[in-house]
Amino acid sequence: MIAIIGAGPAGLAAAVTAAKKGEKVILIDSSTRLGGQYWRHLPSNWKQKRLPYFAEAQELFDQVLSSPLITWYSNAHVWQAEKKNEIFYLYVVKNGVEEVITAQKVILATGAYDRSLPFPGWTGPGVMTPGAAQAMLKTHGVLVGKKIVIAGTGPFLLPVATGLASAGAEIVALLEANKQWRWVFNVHGLLLNPSKIREGVYYLKKLRSLGISIQYGSTVTSFEAGIATIGKKEIACDVVAVGWGFVPELSLAGILGAKLSVQKDGTVVVDVDRNQETSIQGLFAAGESTGIGGSVLAIAEGEIAAGKGNRVTRWRAQVFAKGLQRVYPVSSGWLSSLNSEVTLCRCEEVKVSDIQSAIDELGAQDGRSAKLLTRAGMGLCQGRVCGRNVSEVVACHLSREVPDRERIASASRPLAGPISLGELGDGLGKKF
Amino acid sequence: MIQPNKSLTFTFNGESFGAIPGQTIAAALLQAERTTLRTTRFNDEPRSIFCGIGICWDCVVTVNGVSNQRSCLIEVSDGMVVKS
Ligand SMILES: Cc1cc2nc3c(=O)[nH]c(=O)nc-3n(C[C@H](O)[C@H](O)[C@H](O)COP(=O)(O)OP(=O)(O)OC[C@H]3O[C@@H](n4cnc5c(N)ncnc54)[C@H](O)[C@@H]3O)c2cc1C
Ligand code: FES
Repeated sequence: MIAIIGAGPAGLAAAVTAAKKGEKVILIDSSTRLGGQYWRHLPSNWKQKRLPYFAEAQELFDQVLSSPLITWYSNAHVWQAEKKNEIFYLYVVKNGVEEVITAQKVILATGAYDRSLPFPGWTGPGVMTPGAAQAMLKTHGVLVGKKIVIAGTGPFLLPVATGLASAGAEIVALLEANKQWRWVFNVHGLLLNPSKIREGVYYLKKLRSLGISIQYGSTVTSFEAGIATIGKKEIACDVVAVGWGFVPELSLAGILGAKLSVQKDGTVVVDVDRNQETSIQGLFAAGESTGIGGSVLAIAEGEIAAGKGNRVTRWRAQVFAKGLQRVYPVSSGWLSSLNSEVTLCRCEEVKVSDIQSAIDELGAQDGRSAKLLTRAGMGLCQGRVCGRNVSEVVACHLSREVPDRERIASASRPLAGPISLGELGDGLGKKF
Repeated sequence: MIQPNKSLTFTFNGESFGAIPGQTIAAALLQAERTTLRTTRFNDEPRSIFCGIGICWDCVVTVNGVSNQRSCLIEVSDGMVVKS
């Protein structure tokens, strides 16, 4: 049996491909709905018009739900995993009960989450990731605000802006930190992926029809009492949605000991070979966990991980994804302008100044010791939000680069999600 | 887009709210323009949703007596008692 963790584009494509080859699949996701981040959707009790891009999703959903070979295991979070005698054991919590799932082959399709950078006011209500605004709208039909500023970098800001505006929000500013000319760095990616040109043109036209213009080269520098500061300007709004690209979710890859590596821009990914197999035999990875690349790449990788996919499609999408990193870099400017009173770790409420004192007064010499001394990155989210930022603040204060081993250490964590003692004490409910 | 009825009710800090089946606690509260979900342990700062997808744990609340539950992931069920 193959266990696939994550029912987004990568996991769905992998499940359907494996079932076509006659293999038994269990598709596990902590969400109650299929689709992952990209194909988020409202429940069927909503009367709604589906967007054209959803047709592909619906086809995969139908195949997953109708195949006798695929078990869809929803609302189930894999929090721990191990490999013993060629068998993978996945520890899953479903409805508060822990269960063990065993499989000979595992495909990790755990996706990614928005990358965030700290700024004054970013912990207060009203500041959120573009992903959060998108998720609330696409999964629950809820607009997060009436007057919204969208900022950060990357192509994902565009569908978020058009989605929120079409649903009735006023987008008071759409700020792309990078300049438009940087697309010269991805001309080859565009030529190899003409559909991306069409997609870009579609969003630019849509923005124009909604009366939204993109301001390049600027961002939000603070948000307080309903006022966002953008350079020298102040804008009234109720929501500021800021995102700086995505962070691959690597907890399970790290727990199972798969080799992780650091990309040029500092993003940590799981290493895979041409068949999407990691350094651990039988453990495969597909989608955003192998590098941020969007849904087309995620689907191609999922199919290849399941044993039958188009390598040329994957190559094209990979070239495009690499180019995107050059178009939308996150410059280290945020570090030099960082106010020492800003909260760095949201969970443990650790400020930049606490990290600086850990270095200056307590002698911390790397991210790990600074974290131990301040508890930054040691709260409930286990450093998912601040881990990378803390390492970068420490390195900047010490005038160093963040070592790769530290980046890898802060991307791996002992649990793929906190679990309550009650759930642990309940023992193992069921075995597949 | 036509919204179904808010056929579920739950309480948040004693006040009653409606929710559409399938909506999470955070979504139902945001729709009712209730942005502060809790205040922090040390500095008593207000917090709302941040990542919206279960990553950041900023939106944690107590659900039917169980603490540290992510309100952006847990769907409302009828009669649920939610506290900051
Ligand atoms: C909040 C958010 C919104 C986004 N919206 C869009 C959008 O509108 N348009 C767009 O083009 N791109 C969007 N993206 C980018 C998106 O990541 C990719 O386009 C695409 O969804 C990647 O597919 P994937 O299969 O790699 O992962 P995902 O779609 O992220 O799927 C990963 C799945 O794995 C599950 N999972 C992870 N860990 C575990 C575990 N331990 N146990 C059980 N299940 C687990 C998650 O619940 C999730 O469903 C969004 C990203 C985020 C973070
Ligand atoms: S908003 Fe981040 S975990 Fe709920």
